[in-house]
Amino acid sequence: MRTSDMKNSDFTAKPRNTIAPIDRLIWHYENPDAEAMAAAAGNVPVVGVTSNTAPWELIRAAGAFPCVINSGNPNYPDIGTFMEEGVFEERIRAIFGAAISGDLQHLSLLLIPRTSEQEYKLYLYLREVARQDPTRRIPPLYLYDMLHTRSPESYSYGLERTLCLKERLEELTGKRIDDAALLYAVRESNSARKAIRKLLSLRNPVPRVTGTEALTLIGASFFISRDEYAHLAGQAVEMIEGRAPVAGKRVMIAGSPLNHRGLHHALEKHGAVVVAEDDWWGSRSAGMDIADGSDDLLKAIFEKYYLDAPSPRVFPFEIADAWFQEESTHGIDGVVFYLPPEDCVVGWDYPRRRRFLDERRIPHLLMREDAGSISEECHEQIERFVNNICIR
Amino acid sequence: MAEKQLHCTLAAGEHQKAWFAQLRKDVFEKQRPYAIIQADMPFELFHVMEVPVVSNQYWAAIISAKRLSGYYLDALNSMGFHEGLCRYCSLAAASTLANDPEHAPWGGLPKPALLSARLTCDCLQRVFAIWAEAFGSECLFIDNPGAADLPPRWWEFSRYHWRELFEEHRLKFTVTQFQNLIEALERVTGRQFQIDRLRDLMERVNRQEEYFEEALQMICSAPRTPVRMHEQVANVMAAQWKRGSDWAVEHARTFRDEIRNRVRQGVAACPGERLRLMWVGAGIWHDTDFYTAFEEEFGAVFVWSMYLAFGPDGYIRYGLDDPLLALASRTVSMNEQLHNPPWANEWIVHQAKLHRIDAALVLTPMGTRPAATGNRFIERALEQAGIPVLPVVADMVDARDWDPDAMRLKVSEFLRHRVLPHLNSARRHS
Repeated sequence: MRTSDMKNSDFTAKPRNTIAPIDRLIWHYENPDAEAMAAAAGNVPVVGVTSNTAPWELIRAAGAFPCVINSGNPNYPDIGTFMEEGVFEERIRAIFGAAISGDLQHLSLLLIPRTSEQEYKLYLYLREVARQDPTRRIPPLYLYDMLHTRSPESYSYGLERTLCLKERLEELTGKRIDDAALLYAVRESNSARKAIRKLLSLRNPVPRVTGTEALTLIGASFFISRDEYAHLAGQAVEMIEGRAPVAGKRVMIAGSPLNHRGLHHALEKHGAVVVAEDDWWGSRSAGMDIADGSDDLLKAIFEKYYLDAPSPRVFPFEIADAWFQEESTHGIDGVVFYLPPEDCVVGWDYPRRRRFLDERRIPHLLMREDAGSISEECHEQIERFVNNICIR
Repeated sequence: MAEKQLHCTLAAGEHQKAWFAQLRKDVFEKQRPYAIIQADMPFELFHVMEVPVVSNQYWAAIISAKRLSGYYLDALNSMGFHEGLCRYCSLAAASTLANDPEHAPWGGLPKPALLSARLTCDCLQRVFAIWAEAFGSECLFIDNPGAADLPPRWWEFSRYHWRELFEEHRLKFTVTQFQNLIEALERVTGRQFQIDRLRDLMERVNRQEEYFEEALQMICSAPRTPVRMHEQVANVMAAQWKRGSDWAVEHARTFRDEIRNRVRQGVAACPGERLRLMWVGAGIWHDTDFYTAFEEEFGAVFVWSMYLAFGPDGYIRYGLDDPLLALASRTVSMNEQLHNPPWANEWIVHQAKLHRIDAALVLTPMGTRPAATGNRFIERALEQAGIPVLPVVADMVDARDWDPDAMRLKVSEFLRHRVLPHLNSARRHS
């Protein structure tokens, strides 16, 4: 979420239960820190995570409140003292800014998974700022070093790192993570996944919700308890099911992850309906359930994040491209590749994925502008692209 | 082309050229396998298995020095790879994708049996996989575990206490990755890996780096540097690419001897040396004359780059009862040691003090952005140590955005308006 999307996180302003579930989910999406701050105020340890490959269930089973960090100002003046201009993604800069400015002091732990190399650097940078200036109110840091290459060695290493994380969380909360707690957490998160999958089923092949709204409703799951989310999202699904289909060319977004609604909004303003995004913030946020019947729940949790969570480090290409290839050939009229100016990773995938679409005559558009501030020229380009798409 | 003062610099250049010509002959005529690998790979395993290697960065530097980077990067962009993608690590791949051997330096890279890289950034598996596909060659990756525990003053522990310096789980994991690589090399060569040969090689690498350390100490202690930075780099890297080989150890000794003779005879690289400069980052391979451009007017001589200094501190490992584990410790944290906080900033300030540095230029390569991380920490640490810093935004291999005159003017102004007044003030106070 961009700064412009966000409101001040005042957890006391949380909407009452009588307010419609869709509005409540929207409120949580727009106030990403609110529930975390409320938990911290109630003396529940809060563990912030910086992206999607951190095991939510372990944090929950330890008795802490897990939440994704999606706040902060990427233009916070002190960021430039430490971070090189134009080198880090805006979202990473924003998290860094929030951490060094004291905005994350309600966290008992900031858990940084190795989803991307930039997050590893974020860990090293924050660790060093904390060392050089102990007066800054940076929360304790933890690097969850799960590797994403598909090899037996990376698997064993990741499982071992997950065991270490379990110990660290037990130490943090003083609560032993037993099988009962793990099972409870797995079932809770599975219920949220089920609700998200239902929401996704209302996007394609017959869209009954816009992409902008869907991203918001899904995104709320990162900031509130998953019990509450499953409940609210379930109610939202019932309401959306009764809606008339949304007219428009069905577009998928691929490329760099989008933690805000700018591009969805722009595309839908010009007659498209975004029905999928190859991205952990949207269509790929839930994935499959964790097997709650597993006799080794910790391993099952690890495998969920190792095998079923998108990351730019997933390799080889056959695995990294599988979701894109499957989804782009099912009910998609066109694809928008989003490679923002700071991209230096996903651009390597673009020619290969473009070729895949060309071979199937699926139209596509490359967008290199920052989706947070789309120019008039780019709007015109989007409009032309959407107009020229033939519904398949 | 920058002046070469040392005999061994010419010898290093000639050796590299002859070696590559022989490699092409061996590969084309005798089908001998060779490999293309990233610069931070364990070259030692390839040497032990007698598989010649070409470093990705070395080849990129050659292309750049031949002023061909623009041609190849334009070709890469025309294939749909956008201009913001990393240039240093992809330039050599671009020279293959362009498929134009007529243009390529020294006839171009022949098809390797293997390409391999450590995954120290999210681009590398992509670049190497695309490259391997273009060649139709096997590609093998070494995943890179992250460091959570980075104790201060790593260089004081790296030689004897490397087991404690690097986290045990990282070393063990890296060894498993090396074992995969060894299996691949056994498959490629039909030879069996011998651990004793690795131990012998590691001992020779130690000897080589000890020679480099002696050279470095003379550069630190001589009244004026006996050897310019760009000649250090040429000699050191020619040997590091083949580290532990008879030629490399002998070349390191020759380099040390030639420097020692120059020091004994009171020969300075720049007799008018008044300012000692540090270059932080990879070299500007397309304009090496840049490094001598400030001698005449300012007596400003580049005396330090990471290339010589990292040899002794980064490579020497004593206690080789488990040479594979020792090699893992040499390899596993190169990125943290050279580029990222806290290790890079701490080490570079230490080096600056050892070398009596007056000012530093720090490269921020916006064309190779992952290589730019850690720079603000390095710049701040140097400034806090009283060393003025000029950040240089440029690319190490891509000359397209490099304006030689403007850059020389910028450095001159920095020396004139920032460094000289700073030094004069410091001298007055002392």
